[in-house]
Amino acid sequence: MFGLFNKKESGEPLPEWFATLEESKERWFLFLEKLEIKIEELCTAAIPELKELLATDEDIYKRTFHRVYAGVNGQLQNIREKARDTYDDKITEMYENIKPEISVLNPHYNLLSDFRTVCSERYHKDFEQKYEYWPNQLEKAQERDLEIEYQKIVTEFDAIKNKFNCKQCGGNITIEKIFFMTTYISCSHCQTQNTFDPSTQARMLQNFAKELAEQRTSHLYEIYLTENNKERELYHERHELSLSTIHEKDKKVLEQKNIQMDNLEKQRKEVIKNAPKLYHTYLRAMYDEWNKITPDLKEHNEKMYESQINN
Amino acid sequence: MEEKKISSFLDRLKQNAKKQEHYGGKTEENEAKMDALNCINCGAGRTKHDGITHCGYCGYEFIKVKLTDGIYVKKEDNSL
Repeated sequence: MFGLFNKKESGEPLPEWFATLEESKERWFLFLEKLEIKIEELCTAAIPELKELLATDEDIYKRTFHRVYAGVNGQLQNIREKARDTYDDKITEMYENIKPEISVLNPHYNLLSDFRTVCSERYHKDFEQKYEYWPNQLEKAQERDLEIEYQKIVTEFDAIKNKFNCKQCGGNITIEKIFFMTTYISCSHCQTQNTFDPSTQARMLQNFAKELAEQRTSHLYEIYLTENNKERELYHERHELSLSTIHEKDKKVLEQKNIQMDNLEKQRKEVIKNAPKLYHTYLRAMYDEWNKITPDLKEHNEKMYESQINN
Repeated sequence: MEEKKISSFLDRLKQNAKKQEHYGGKTEENEAKMDALNCINCGAGRTKHDGITHCGYCGYEFIKVKLTDGIYVKKEDNSL
């Protein structure tokens, strides 16, 4: 397929097993191609269905959606396992079977090792890279705008906050804030302890408050991620430069490259120092936002924040 | 052919997911409500300054445990 095996080593005729290797390689490539098509077809069909299901699932925990989501993910994993098992059965085993018969000094040994390298790269690099793209796309299908959910709770709160009366004296009781669990509210007129039971919708607030805070501060997280990724980019840039200096003889060019390399290393060190700071900025903003959404959980959240920044 | 297979796989998956009973049964969606509990023993109402663990009039025990500070209920809510 890639003409990698077309070279005839030292003019000798090609060994008998070469044809089997070629055939296996062709079949392996075809097989992976078919799996890739299957993955793409499955996901492109599933994503719109999942989005629709998420919007229409009436269950408050969206359990029907999550079952289908898990099913699609399971199917994807099955395909991946199938590729792995077939690689073990057809490629590794064939390599291991032929290997004992051929010495490393054999002029045709390269044919065998090339077979394994080409098949492995097609699988571990190309196939895996294509595969990994899809679970992320599926994950995006389960994102929903939590501001809408939050707004529903706020609207409901505005509608009910003055609606209740004391069960003992009939005096009006104002609900001061959004409660997300059952609580006692004492009547300002007769001091009777009334039990306030929030709606199912309001109870959901504490389940998605953190996610909502993360959505609101995602721009800060992006800034941190970009900074954090710079470290590797700068490292590779410097590495490329250092490789180009190996055969460089012109002293001026070398000097220039060395300055550039020092500069890159300086930037890299700066990034290493800066990235955690940006992460802390994001974390603080996220927790502040979380505390704003559920102020009653502030004490608990702050403990979590402390443990998160200290680890 | 392949597309047909996938759509039937997804349809079956959806059907089964919808058919499957939710663990713990169907969730009930309730509206917010307010209620008050009178003492089961003497019928007296519970007031803020009497605390919530015992009836302020006859001493009937509503809650067995000693309360500690929680999100809404505080240790001051223990009856004397």
